[in-house]
Amino acid sequence: MSPVRWPLRNRRPMIAVTLPQAKGRRVRRLIADTGAGSDQAAFELLLREADCRGSDDPRAMGQVQLGGAYSGWFNVYSVEVRVPRLKFSESVAVVGVPNALDGFDGIACFKFLNRFHYGNFGDRDRFGLE
Amino acid sequence: MSRDNSVRAINERLARKVRREGQQDPNSPYANRFVGIANGKVVVIADSLTEVSRQLRKIEPDGSKCFIVDVAADYDRVYEV
Repeated sequence: MSPVRWPLRNRRPMIAVTLPQAKGRRVRRLIADTGAGSDQAAFELLLREADCRGSDDPRAMGQVQLGGAYSGWFNVYSVEVRVPRLKFSESVAVVGVPNALDGFDGIACFKFLNRFHYGNFGDRDRFGLE
Repeated sequence: MSRDNSVRAINERLARKVRREGQQDPNSPYANRFVGIANGKVVVIADSLTEVSRQLRKIEPDGSKCFIVDVAADYDRVYEV
């Protein structure tokens, strides 16, 4: 399968995911941040709390303590996430945060990105997953 | 002090017990697995979050009555993002 690539957003790497359970607009643009969390983190994405609870049946998974861009205790939910062009459709552990930063809808953390091959695939104006 | 007997509180107490058992005993059926709780009872054990979420949705459609434990996950540390 060939890589799926998205243009940089504000000159920063971005991926787009679909939340099939969301009401209204379903696509979320996430900053691809390999420095967020680790491959053993208890979560893979950060999204607005409203997105995590947007479906009628959010599944709670506990709370985690974050430091850095977000600081404090936040809820973790199981949220169905899709990347249709990669045929990716799985439930993912997502931290709900009060608001998103820097023109993005959330953060794709290292644990999520590390599911794929990731990078610019030879195009410095794009970021992609394969 | 009174004990919180809401479904969520009961689920969370059971989740802590499940996580503790699964992390302390490698022979536990919970070790390194995902555990679905509904209405204060363990109702599904699976190898992936996708699978446990799918089965839990069938068993209890009301998500507010459910809880999922990722037994291997570390909820006691601070994550830098």
